[in-house]
Amino acid sequence: MAPDVQPPAGAARIAGEDESALIGRALAGDRGAFGVLVERYAPQARRVARAVLADPDDADDAAQDAFLSALTKLHQYDRRRPFGPWLLRIVANAATDRRRRRQVRRVEPLDPELAGGGARPDVDAERSALSQRLREALAQLPERRRVAVVLFDVEGYSHREIAEILGIPEGTVRSEVFHARRRLRTLLDDWKEG
Amino acid sequence: MTHDPTPFDSRRDPELGAALSAALEPRDHAAFVQRVVASLDRARPESWTVLAGWARRGVIAAAIAALVLGLIDNRGTAPATVAEESFASGTGDTLPPSALLASQDAPDASVVFASLVRR
Repeated sequence: MAPDVQPPAGAARIAGEDESALIGRALAGDRGAFGVLVERYAPQARRVARAVLADPDDADDAAQDAFLSALTKLHQYDRRRPFGPWLLRIVANAATDRRRRRQVRRVEPLDPELAGGGARPDVDAERSALSQRLREALAQLPERRRVAVVLFDVEGYSHREIAEILGIPEGTVRSEVFHARRRLRTLLDDWKEG
Repeated sequence: MTHDPTPFDSRRDPELGAALSAALEPRDHAAFVQRVVASLDRARPESWTVLAGWARRGVIAAAIAALVLGLIDNRGTAPATVAEESFASGTGDTLPPSALLASQDAPDASVVFASLVRR
């Protein structure tokens, strides 16, 4: 059974009309204003961190580090530009740093039975199993590739914005997204056909 | 997801996006936000740190400036004292320069020049 098609979280792009004001208040020392930004961007930040770090606890630690880092660097943020890409660049860097520092335990390779489209688990557990397989498949992709596809297909950022977040050329982003999709789509198609 | 992707496909894939979103969806959003907000007090914006650094530097610079001014002041008065003594001894019964400088009235020019002529 194919997963329910839901609007990607990125489709509900965070409205930026009052972000500049929130950031101004945060710069003036209003922690509540920064808390609003944390609440808005936490889901995105956690998903991006989890695309880098397989372990959800490590990912949350990295996302938290990123928010603290963003607060300390807030005066460097250009308020004429969107906040999301600036923040997610910090998140991606924080997650990468954490992965390098802690040498996060490697995700086990795909179970051959699952990878080969073997017997499907119970319907109740199907969705959870698919998610697990996707996470494992993501973990096998190069880090930049998995972050790129998550930013594009989950968070809804453009190639140009992702290039800015990752600090790489836009053409490289397109290539990374293409290769990641090819791998993940194969997995999903196998799942549907199974 | 059913279409073949081209290398530079710029359209989003809703099905893949939804599946990935479900796979990566974090839990306990409220708890995470609470945890981050609670930790914000440990963070200090760099701008505050920069200002604090400037304040520290300002205090140090002011202290150095005061020290330098103090030294200059001391050096400036010490030679004057020697000169004053020498001048006073040379002038004999005339008033010392400090007395001339401290006086509210203008000094008598004849006294000053007379002492110099005598030397």
